[in-house]
Amino acid sequence: MNKLILGRYIAGDSLIHRLDPRAKLVLSFYFVGIIFMANNWQSFSMLLIFTLGCILASKISLSFFLKGVRPLIWLIIFTVALQMLFSSGGQMYWHWGIFKISEFGVTNGLYIFCRFILIIFMSTLLTLSTAPLQLADAIESLLKPLKTIKFPVYEIALMLSIALRFVPTLMDETAKIMNAQRARGVNFGQGSLIKQMQSIIPLLIPLFVSSFNRAEDLAIAMESRGYQGGEGRTKYRVLKWQTTDTMAFVLFAVVTVALVYLKN
Amino acid sequence: MAIKFNEVAFTYQKGTPFESQALHDINLEIEDGSFTAIVGHTGSGKSTLLQHLNGLLKPTEGEIQIGEQIITPETPNKALNDLRKQVGIVFQFPEAQLFEETVIKDVAFAPKNFGKTESEAEAIAEKMLQLVGLPESIYQQSPFDLSGGQMRRVAIAGILAMEPKILVLDEPTAGLDPRGRVDMMAMFEELHREQNLTIILVTHQMDDVANYADYAIIMSKGTIIKSGTPRAVFSDPDFLLNNHLNVPTTTLFSKRLTEKGFSFANIPLTEAELADDLVELLSRKGGHDANE
Repeated sequence: MNKLILGRYIAGDSLIHRLDPRAKLVLSFYFVGIIFMANNWQSFSMLLIFTLGCILASKISLSFFLKGVRPLIWLIIFTVALQMLFSSGGQMYWHWGIFKISEFGVTNGLYIFCRFILIIFMSTLLTLSTAPLQLADAIESLLKPLKTIKFPVYEIALMLSIALRFVPTLMDETAKIMNAQRARGVNFGQGSLIKQMQSIIPLLIPLFVSSFNRAEDLAIAMESRGYQGGEGRTKYRVLKWQTTDTMAFVLFAVVTVALVYLKN
Repeated sequence: MAIKFNEVAFTYQKGTPFESQALHDINLEIEDGSFTAIVGHTGSGKSTLLQHLNGLLKPTEGEIQIGEQIITPETPNKALNDLRKQVGIVFQFPEAQLFEETVIKDVAFAPKNFGKTESEAEAIAEKMLQLVGLPESIYQQSPFDLSGGQMRRVAIAGILAMEPKILVLDEPTAGLDPRGRVDMMAMFEELHREQNLTIILVTHQMDDVANYADYAIIMSKGTIIKSGTPRAVFSDPDFLLNNHLNVPTTTLFSKRLTEKGFSFANIPLTEAELADDLVELLSRKGGHDANE
């Protein structure tokens, strides 16, 4: 559980940390979109250099990003291998039965590998450099236009920020209950599949019960502090758009133009 | 079972960017059948230390000897199952671990896990529920219908049902009312006395340390800064106060009296001791006002 890097926030004070979370959110999604335009080595190397530049600017050590790749490494290897072994075209290097390694397959595999790395690096950069509550604020702000079609933007944002706030608390609670049950002789992750599933019950039930209790307490505490719903509230954390945010958009526009120019 | 820590250190998430060291060269010995109290600030490593006592955590350096078993960083997890049965840990707010449909089933859960049959486990459970002072009428109720104090008792009964040789208590009275606290501590004292159970108690209540423990360990920032009998540890109240720790109410009161000119041969730890000392001092003064 502790090995998970995705979704962690590393406090810092860099150019990337100070960007408006709305800008970061929109730009990361945008970046994931334009990655699919790249289709030759020139465009991919440009994107890789750009991503590494962003990581450098965030002043977060590269090892965090490499750790972010680790849980997905098998998925990446599987997809790349599939591409390499089953596509044909160009010069054929080796083949055995239905398996073949061709020039086309190798380049395709490499491209897919690059895509994965780029997407993971960019999304890790977003979550590592943006506090969860900032992200929730950004989502609320970006969803605001949906209010016109009666979409409950405020409620969604509230649920999101409460959920994000309680992720670490629930993780701690899970670890505590797990320890308590292990001390009572439960072996998590040992034995047959059925046995393993049964051993989850002493963990899940207390976790659900404590979540219910927590929800009740939280609701009462909120009401007693005068919470009446989204209408008529003011905001404490106000997002501020700065020139650096506009500059970031300009930079991404330049990258897009360069990408269109470099690709086949 | 005696416990011995030899140069034990523990680092959380070793080898990751998030690593943090919670324990530094811990050396300690806990005798068989003793009542040891561990005190220290939140975050001083007390709970980390506790989890080493039944192998929930393994030291990243050094070795621990518990009874016959030696735990080193290389000890495989499978070898620790037997240890878990002998060392019962009551975690903070243990009511969070209840999950079965009925109280009795929940208490019987641990003995069943350690190989007792259904009927044996239920017999033990009934005995333990009596021991913690719960009425028979609630045995078939859901643990979630009980009051907070009763849930705590059920949870503790669930640990006692393992029939451990060492009982580890992590702030067992936190969040209880004064009556509940006194009752619960009296129960542990009785278990210690009658069944010769080794008890290790983590607490912030210095009064409990003075009243019940026969050995005290003071931790700060992952190391042991002082240990000894409660009398030895509390004989220097300034040391504790300088480390932002409390001293027992009696000790604090007798310290004030000393500042006013009283002198005690030994620092009194409990109210009874203080009262005895005062009676003796006042009778020697022949009824004079002590403040003169």
